[in-house]
Amino acid sequence: MRPAAETKDFRRDLVSLLPKLRRFAMTLTRNANDADDLVQEACERAITRSHLWNGEGRLESWIYAMTRNLWVDEIRKRKVRTGSGTVDVSDQDELSVEASAEKAVYANQLQKMILSMPEGLASTFLLVNVEGHSYRETADILGIPIGTVMSRLSTARLRLAAMISENTERRA
Amino acid sequence: MHQTQGHALEVRLCAYIDGELGDAEKTELETLLARDEEAKALLERLKAGSAFGDTAFEDFLHDPVPLALVRQIKQGASINPKTERVTVAAANVRSARVWPRMMAASVALVLVGGATGYIIGTAHSVGEPTKVAAARSWLDDIADYHRIYARQKDRLVEVPASEAPVIETWLASSVGIPFTIPNLTGKGLTFEGARLLVANSKPVAQLLYRNADGDVFAICFLKDSDSPQSDAFTESIRDDLGMVSWQRGGASFVIVGPSSSVGLQDLAEAVSSTI
Repeated sequence: MRPAAETKDFRRDLVSLLPKLRRFAMTLTRNANDADDLVQEACERAITRSHLWNGEGRLESWIYAMTRNLWVDEIRKRKVRTGSGTVDVSDQDELSVEASAEKAVYANQLQKMILSMPEGLASTFLLVNVEGHSYRETADILGIPIGTVMSRLSTARLRLAAMISENTERRA
Repeated sequence: MHQTQGHALEVRLCAYIDGELGDAEKTELETLLARDEEAKALLERLKAGSAFGDTAFEDFLHDPVPLALVRQIKQGASINPKTERVTVAAANVRSARVWPRMMAASVALVLVGGATGYIIGTAHSVGEPTKVAAARSWLDDIADYHRIYARQKDRLVEVPASEAPVIETWLASSVGIPFTIPNLTGKGLTFEGARLLVANSKPVAQLLYRNADGDVFAICFLKDSDSPQSDAFTESIRDDLGMVSWQRGGASFVIVGPSSSVGLQDLAEAVSSTI
């Protein structure tokens, strides 16, 4: 049994991770409601399995991998249930994020553009480019070969570069 | 380190950007970039994509984290963020359980009413109502103040931050606790000014801060030699507000902010060591 203080610290670390965990979940689910459900499920699982966390490496890597596994399971279940997977972001009217001010609308557009990238690109880019995970760590978290990490990463960067001019036109 | 020979140039350049290449391959690509304008242009495109993606992903962190989830993790409470968010599901749950709750509420009201009547009926001194009021902790008062003042965009404070030395002298003499206004810019908080409040019939100093998103955070403290002195931090959530409190040197302190804020405990630790 874990001491109470350690459990409290784990919960505190988990809360600190929530914004990043939610962002990672968004790259998998590509819509806010599914991301929130996934984050909740991942947190519940992380708490019940916190005794398995050995404190080595990055806590987010452990939870990200758990989140990704949960999402793969969810996709399988959905395919069995309805014969369909996720709702693509491009099919949605708007992301479910609060966006009242102009800045928020702009942020919303950026998010929509990012999440409209083909499956797997956003999460790979996030892990390597934004959060500084190595190729090896990223491959472990996403459960893919390193070669796939490399090809997804270059594709993501080129797509993002192409979005710069698109984004400039939208804002003009 | 990875071998990328045989991969497309953009893949190799990505590995170069990310520092995932061995020295030999790195030198090889640097030689290529020095003489090949197309390769150089491709590298610049990849870097531009990286920078644009970084900015875009930064925006995700400003999305509100589901409040109920934060509460659930912090307190292990039986709150279900899904049912809180999905209103239809919540309505079903409510209708199914309404009668037992109404019964419980009725019984509670009868008991409370009876007890109150008994207290009023048997009270002979004016001291009794004061005891009932004292059951409400000073933190309840602070939470109420915070909800009201945090909405006062243009009149958030009584004395502005520009008069910091005045604030320190004024509040130290009013509350009876010498202090230094904590500099929390390293935590992303700007000092806005201060107010003098009253909680549990005692003067309370309130120091107000704002973060880049406009969220208001407050440090409040009062003289309190009655409470057991302990440096341990106690975290609690009251609806939309998170509070971390502690006692030290005959005073009680609390830091208040949005309950969705993830760094309240760190803030409390920083304040505790600098105030």
